[in-house]
Amino acid sequence: MVAVSKTEMTAAKEKKTGNLSMISAVKTYLPIVGLIIVFLVFNVLTNFRMVKNMPLVLSQVYVTMIATTGVFFIMTMGGLDFSQGSILGIASIVVCMVSRINIPLSILCGILTGALIGAFNGYFYVYRKIKSFIVTICTMFLFRGFIKYLTTNAPVAGSAALINFDRTELKVALTLLVLVTGFVLFRFTKFGTYLKAIGAGEKAAMFSGIRTDKMKFWVYVLSGAITGFAAFINVIKVGSVTSSGGSQLETQILIALVLGGMPISGGAKVRFENIIVGSLLYIVLNSGLTMMGFSTQMMQLIQGIVFLVFVAVFADRKSLQVIK
Amino acid sequence: MSEVRLEVKNLCKSFGITKAVKNVSFNINKGEVHALIGENGSGKSTLTNMLTGIYSIDSGIFVLDGEEIHPKNQVDANNHGVSIIVQELGTLSGLTVAENIFLGHEERFVKCGIKNTKQMIKEANELLHSYGFDRIKAQRMIDDYNFEDRKLVEIVKATYFDPKIVVIDETTTALSQEGRNELYKVMDKIREKGNTIIFISHDLQEILDRSDTITILRDGVYIDTVKSKDVSEEDLKRLMVGREVTGDYYRSDYGSKVSDEVVLSVKDVSVPGLLNKLDFELHKGEILGFGGLSESGMHEVGKAIFGASYDRTGSVKLSDGTEINDIPTAIQHSIAYTSKDRDNESVVLNQSIMDNICLPSLDELADKRHMLSDKKLRDFADKFAKDMSVKMVNVDQFVSDLSGGNKQKVVLARWIGKDSDIVVLDSPTRGIDIKVKQDIYQLMDRMRKAGKSIIMISEELMELIGMCDRIIIMKDGMINGQIERSESLDENNLITMMV
Repeated sequence: MVAVSKTEMTAAKEKKTGNLSMISAVKTYLPIVGLIIVFLVFNVLTNFRMVKNMPLVLSQVYVTMIATTGVFFIMTMGGLDFSQGSILGIASIVVCMVSRINIPLSILCGILTGALIGAFNGYFYVYRKIKSFIVTICTMFLFRGFIKYLTTNAPVAGSAALINFDRTELKVALTLLVLVTGFVLFRFTKFGTYLKAIGAGEKAAMFSGIRTDKMKFWVYVLSGAITGFAAFINVIKVGSVTSSGGSQLETQILIALVLGGMPISGGAKVRFENIIVGSLLYIVLNSGLTMMGFSTQMMQLIQGIVFLVFVAVFADRKSLQVIK
Repeated sequence: MSEVRLEVKNLCKSFGITKAVKNVSFNINKGEVHALIGENGSGKSTLTNMLTGIYSIDSGIFVLDGEEIHPKNQVDANNHGVSIIVQELGTLSGLTVAENIFLGHEERFVKCGIKNTKQMIKEANELLHSYGFDRIKAQRMIDDYNFEDRKLVEIVKATYFDPKIVVIDETTTALSQEGRNELYKVMDKIREKGNTIIFISHDLQEILDRSDTITILRDGVYIDTVKSKDVSEEDLKRLMVGREVTGDYYRSDYGSKVSDEVVLSVKDVSVPGLLNKLDFELHKGEILGFGGLSESGMHEVGKAIFGASYDRTGSVKLSDGTEINDIPTAIQHSIAYTSKDRDNESVVLNQSIMDNICLPSLDELADKRHMLSDKKLRDFADKFAKDMSVKMVNVDQFVSDLSGGNKQKVVLARWIGKDSDIVVLDSPTRGIDIKVKQDIYQLMDRMRKAGKSIIMISEELMELIGMCDRIIIMKDGMINGQIERSESLDENNLITMMV
């Protein structure tokens, strides 16, 4: 057994060094090339209906893109978060409820709600040492339960004034605000380097003086807060939240990041562009399939296949076992 | 006894653009211990890995007892009569000792699809007994044993079936003196039976003591094969490096006075099960050595000072009274630490050389608004990597691609970049060739002269004697003795205190 696995490993290593430049080129350009190709193909197939309906297509991307930014940080340090949909749902309900009193306050409360759930995740992950995907799957069900309970009789409606905020410029501005802040933090401060170090080798990161536990906890809080912020944009679209509010967001995020070329185990090879390219690719793919008139079942099937292909291409097999 | 066992003919191997082994040919005889030496990256391990089927061969052949062999994997190599004891841990966790020994050869105990575990354990115990390792029980889990005992199990696993050739790749560096003696005994036995050992080690004295014939490789090229009795350590060094090794190996001064200024005082430090009420002081400009058996607790001393021990009690204080209780505080107050477990605790393997060097210094490298500039980081990493003459393409290269010696240089570069005043080095030269060793010793001497204080923890007694102003010998988690630097010191003075 040991012999076999060793040979496989070294065989893979040899192959890696041999075709390294080609493989890395494919890995770098596949997402962006994929985005362009998918975009062109769907436009041709739908008689350029997609270009004409661009605002509509893009209107779906803002929430995903913002929430993806937070999860990007989590995944960079090798964690996962499946509770994002429930965070969005709960935060949206809070935003709706508070908006009846005061709208700016409702944004703040949304962020706070997200941060609290993030802290809940972080506490069990970091200080009770449970694997992140187990913790967040639990919180996903837990908070989905709350959402169902709160929306049992009727959707939770927000203040009627909320709809007034549903302007494209505002949504673009808010999304850019999150992306630019995230980019600067990740690329030009020690925050990004620390996250990558934790993802690539937590123990060595600790021995380099990084307070890894504290860092991991606060990144979960941050990610929750970012999704809490996205809840505002989610709510202004329709002005109310139903029992399915925010559901499937976690899968969307995960697919978006993988489509964007992010290695699922995080580490030093992640790039901030993964978020943008990935979210766009996901939305274009999704809208394209809808416009083509595919049924939901068919769409899920196609999404599943695309997802699998991308994971197969981008998975960093050497460090897959370190998903925390 | 000079019948040829193995012919190596025109062997070549490349990894991408790097040619690791270039057209190497030589013969290995029956009944000899044949040492392979060369600096890191000279192709020793690549060659033996091809022989044992871990790597595939690009071109060239191995002829074993007149027959060409092409081992596909380790089990296949075993069947040809070739086995290997590797540098790192080669046993599998979660299996019993017996299962580890017979790994890949279980079919011997299988009848009608059912494995006869009892028989397997019985035979494993008999084997362990015949090697004299009675304290290891075949039915226990391998995880119940420490690194050293697991290495012994590996020795049994690699040699019980009387292989024609046993490769021992850098195994001794991981073993204490006791473990080494066990290994030497096994080596003698293999040789008496007329079988062959290919022995790889960086310890030239050990090579001269233990081998009959020595083949030298340099940069993947065959240099020469010599008889051990005809050469000296100096000759070997010259052959390996390709030029006269000049300058001192260790430091050469004796009797210089160490400053009275205490920079670090350790009081009453205990770590459950590892350290017991440790008291010592470190002076400015001093190299303080820690020696002992590998289980003596000496490796924990470094972690305890660095704030990395779990459950530590007692106090570690700097001269200004600052208590060091966690790693960030230690680093902030200019303490550096390099771990024995280089790949897990010292470097972030899957990250660039640049990030690895800059990691502890990011706060100093950031501007007033906490922003980092790529150029600044790159210049910083480049400067210190070059200072340490790290062999690399550029600083974007991942540390996982570097050899052991170069990884250690990256670790040292990071702490020199941080300009640490107290440097704790745990096994700094483990698995590193003489050229880099010499670089590290000279660096330590320079640091000492610049007023830095160094704690050097090492299983190599010679380097402790050669480098330290003072050596503390540990035993069972306690200080068992202390020796000042002197020219008349030899290993036996220390060994008596260790056991």
